[in-house]
Amino acid sequence: MSGDEPNPAAVPQPVKDVHGDGRWISQHTRFVQECKDAEPDVLFVGDSMVQLMQQYEVWRELFSPLHALNFGIGGDTTCNVLWRLQNGELENIRPKVVVLWVGTNNYEHTAEQVAGGILAIAELLTSCLPRAKIVVLGLLPRGEHPNPLREKNAAVNGYLHSWLPKLGQAQFLDVSGEFVHSDGTIIPQDMFDFLHLTSTGYRNVAKPLSDLLLQILEEMPEERRASLV
Amino acid sequence: MSAEDPNPAATPTPCKDIQGDGRWMSLHNRFVSDSKDKEPDVLFVGDSLVQLMHQFGVVVLWVGTNNHGHTPEQICTGIMAIVQVIKNKLPHAHTVILGLLPRGKSPNPLRERNAKVNKLVQEAVSSLPHASFLNVDPGFVHSNGTISHQDMYDYLHLTPQGYQAVCEPLHAHLISMLEKPAEN
Ligand SMILES: [Ca+2]
Repeated sequence: MSGDEPNPAAVPQPVKDVHGDGRWISQHTRFVQECKDAEPDVLFVGDSMVQLMQQYEVWRELFSPLHALNFGIGGDTTCNVLWRLQNGELENIRPKVVVLWVGTNNYEHTAEQVAGGILAIAELLTSCLPRAKIVVLGLLPRGEHPNPLREKNAAVNGYLHSWLPKLGQAQFLDVSGEFVHSDGTIIPQDMFDFLHLTSTGYRNVAKPLSDLLLQILEEMPEERRASLV
Repeated sequence: MSAEDPNPAATPTPCKDIQGDGRWMSLHNRFVSDSKDKEPDVLFVGDSLVQLMHQFGVVVLWVGTNNHGHTPEQICTGIMAIVQVIKNKLPHAHTVILGLLPRGKSPNPLRERNAKVNKLVQEAVSSLPHASFLNVDPGFVHSNGTISHQDMYDYLHLTPQGYQAVCEPLHAHLISMLEKPAEN
């Protein structure tokens, strides 16, 4: 990141309750409560891409058995996730791995800013959870046809790919490869609204992610695993 | 509402592509092309029923909870305008309007607004032979006033369990409609 100006994508911010039913803060409050009761080994944090995964069989099949908690909220930006993590969603838990997937909703920010916001979340996670591994999922392409948001998300991935390895505990997992066909289209069988994944789409993402999580958990030092039981 | 004061909830409006990936229009185009080669858009109820409904022509309409900034009266009029469009395009179809569900973890103005819309729509369709109103809320609001994330994961959208609870009465209603002779 260049310059001394603060990155607007790295400013913690709650979601305003513009519609008046308080759903965002209700969800955040529920997550904070879940931290008091649960002892997750894996924590998923992010936007609807994280949240919707829990509505599919793949969650029960691959991630629930890893003692995973899902702190996804639809529509969240990096700013919103940053705020939630600074306001109770990391209290009372010590996950071994955190999976972070956010950024496609940061419409007001440049690719470099979005990547900087994701990096800021990863840095917060490493400072709050110094022994945890962090897996950052790359942003997916979106829209039926080629469009500027696909290019932007790909650019975000490019920054993450070069920046994240500098954080010793973090690694980048690009799962975006499967979705754009040779004619440039994304099909509704993978993304029902050309953004959110179907169960088939989630399978493409979940398999490499699950393999990586199992590998990370397997490689954790014995004494560390024992101390966390 | 006067004739010079058009109802914003009854004004046909495409979604502006503010984000720049054209998804809304892509979806609309897909629905248009689907309707050229396929059965009506009632995939959630199973193929045999789809066949029957094609003969009878049933349209299930569920919309209104996203009409932020509109009054219950405006939303009701908007829904009835859609019913009229369906009547014009599919003169033999029967439209089932599903009631709007409560939303938000705790009581809030949008729950009251949605309940008011339901009351107005129910009144408005009672005199129409080609439309009916169906309340599919199985009782999502618990006795302490809260909605569970087991039913609505974000206090608006349904979980599979929530859909199950909604679709059972809808399914039963559609079956009973198909079993009795057409109204008109
Ligand atoms: Ca009627």
